[in-house]
Amino acid sequence: MLVLHDVHKTFLMGETQVHALRGVSLELPPGQFSVIMGHSGSGKSTLMHLAGSLDVPTSGRVEYRGLDLTTLTSRERADFRSSDVGFVFQKYNLVGNLTAMENVALPLLLRNTTAKQANGQALEALEQVGLQDRVAHRPSKLSGGEQQRVAIARALVNDPTMILADEPTGNLDTATGERVLGLLRQLTDDDKIVLVVTHNPEIASIADLVVYLRDGQVESHHFQEVAR
Amino acid sequence: MKLNLFRLALKNIRSRRTRSWLTILGVLVGVTAVVALLSIGTGVQEAVLQQFEDIGYDIIVIAPMGATGQARGTMGGFMPGSAQGGMGRLGGQTATQPSTASSGGTFSPKALGDSSSGGDEATAQDLEALRDAMRRAASTSLDTELLLTQVPQLIEAGTLGTQIQPIETATTSGFLRVSTPSLDFLEAFPSVLGGFDIERGTSFTNTTENQVIVGARSAELLEMSVGDSISINSIPFTVVGILESSDQASEEEEADDGALSSQGLAQNLGTGSSTDLVLSGLTNTDDSLFVLSERASEVLVSRAMSAVTITRVEPGASISEAKDAINVAIGLQESAGSPISIQEVADEIQGTLSLIETVLASIAAVALIVGGVGLMNTMYTAVLERTREIGILKSVGARDEQVLTLFLIDSGLMGFIGGVLGLILGSTLSLLGSRLLGPSLGVGSFTPIIDGWLVSGVLVFSFILGALSGVWPAWRASRLNPVDALAAE
Repeated sequence: MLVLHDVHKTFLMGETQVHALRGVSLELPPGQFSVIMGHSGSGKSTLMHLAGSLDVPTSGRVEYRGLDLTTLTSRERADFRSSDVGFVFQKYNLVGNLTAMENVALPLLLRNTTAKQANGQALEALEQVGLQDRVAHRPSKLSGGEQQRVAIARALVNDPTMILADEPTGNLDTATGERVLGLLRQLTDDDKIVLVVTHNPEIASIADLVVYLRDGQVESHHFQEVAR
Repeated sequence: MKLNLFRLALKNIRSRRTRSWLTILGVLVGVTAVVALLSIGTGVQEAVLQQFEDIGYDIIVIAPMGATGQARGTMGGFMPGSAQGGMGRLGGQTATQPSTASSGGTFSPKALGDSSSGGDEATAQDLEALRDAMRRAASTSLDTELLLTQVPQLIEAGTLGTQIQPIETATTSGFLRVSTPSLDFLEAFPSVLGGFDIERGTSFTNTTENQVIVGARSAELLEMSVGDSISINSIPFTVVGILESSDQASEEEEADDGALSSQGLAQNLGTGSSTDLVLSGLTNTDDSLFVLSERASEVLVSRAMSAVTITRVEPGASISEAKDAINVAIGLQESAGSPISIQEVADEIQGTLSLIETVLASIAAVALIVGGVGLMNTMYTAVLERTREIGILKSVGARDEQVLTLFLIDSGLMGFIGGVLGLILGSTLSLLGSRLLGPSLGVGSFTPIIDGWLVSGVLVFSFILGALSGVWPAWRASRLNPVDALAAE
């Protein structure tokens, strides 16, 4: 369970204070496909960063499985991301000079995993997203959909308990987008938390939990029954 | 984990090939300069010190006091008397004025080092000054037998006289230095005369005939062969032997009077004191003629210019104590002279060489620092360019110190590669340089010293230089906020 308690996040842009989140409280249960919706600037990406411990709140608490993430050091947060979180970004965020396999193996290479072992696991992850024949390609030689699948494979390679995706279909055509969503949806079967940030209502229609953010506050959230 | 970071860094260097090579080039140039200069510098030092070692560190030379200035100018080479405006090479100075008289033995007193003479023509004053110098020099010789009894630390002593004599052969005429060792001297101190190795002919066979042994370059210059006749001070002598060249330089320079003398780097570095005299008198056998003192005293006596006393200190005895005792002995003999040990001369030369080496190494170090700054610039730009990548690394779990390490390995590797290539290029250049520089420095061929210390020092230093240059950019990279880094375009 990921729990946010009265989370505030304020940025300083020049001399102006921007309140990205203003007292957000949420509970995201495992095995659920959760979607956070809202307009641009509503604070949904910030919420995702805090959930994945990529950033820390200005005030409030973010707890994951009873662990208060806001008390962790920079190093502990890095380790938490490494073991429990898989990020998928709208712009894929692959490293340009690494092949698909090396990109996927990257999280493992940063840990005590040998290159051989990392490559083996990376290949499995790439097979999972149907890209076993594109392992040696660099991102520039892959289509948008393929790149996003590589990004998903990278997010999965550590077998994390939480997948956080920011507009994962934003740059994809409809068919490819559906395929990517299908992959993400599937992950909830393993009791993972899957949180997708989007402004696309079609994605919300297949979610178990839909949260609407407006001006940094939760406007509404509701569970819904979705046919699997 | 470190190995994985190393692989990632290597991958990054390879993927940014052009920039990496340009950066490496900066380090390479610096390292090349350092390696070449240090190895050549050390090599030259070793070669010069070897020359002194060959002479022997147990030798103390007693140079005649007051004759130094004169002697300096007279230790050089042949001054052709025949026309064509010949240039005489004179122990570090080049006499450029044309000879004024017709062929058949023209003297050039100005070229003999008497700086008081003016004008282009030989004058009566010039000749008088020359004679005066000769008289003063001749009056300073010590009684070596007495010296051995007065200074118990000495085991051998001998006198090497040097004169400037008019020379005449079938084809040419002029002045040349004539050294007058005794048979005993040649036996006791051959090292002082560069081994006194005969290349052609024989050494002196008796003291009753007018025999002369000719230095390699003099033989070449005078076109002399064994058995030829040569007139010294109008007295006929027969060439019985020709000495081996003291170094390759003399062979290559042939009779080119304008070229640098081959009297040894040590001599070229002489500081003008008695050191100069000692070095020029002892190390240069190429330009001399040798007549036994036993014979010279009978036929050439009036033209003695200087007499250097050579002594050998007993093994284990203190050189400085021996020098003190020699000074006392000089006083007792009412003579004048200044003892100087080969060790002192070597120290003096080594000091000068070390200074030159330090200056050159400092210049090379500046080049290396410039390379380091280039590397820092590259790494700083890389951090800006790779900001998003840093964000990605952090999002997949990279710790701050891992990002720091990754960038440090990156810059350190470029420094190291630059070091390895610079080492190879610098070694090659120093080997080539030693062949080109050796003869012109007067130390013949010498081997640049590229030892384990230089190799490991250069490699470690270049890696550290690379890593240090990358510290600040890497630290910046590691401190980037992952969210901000991911947002970078």
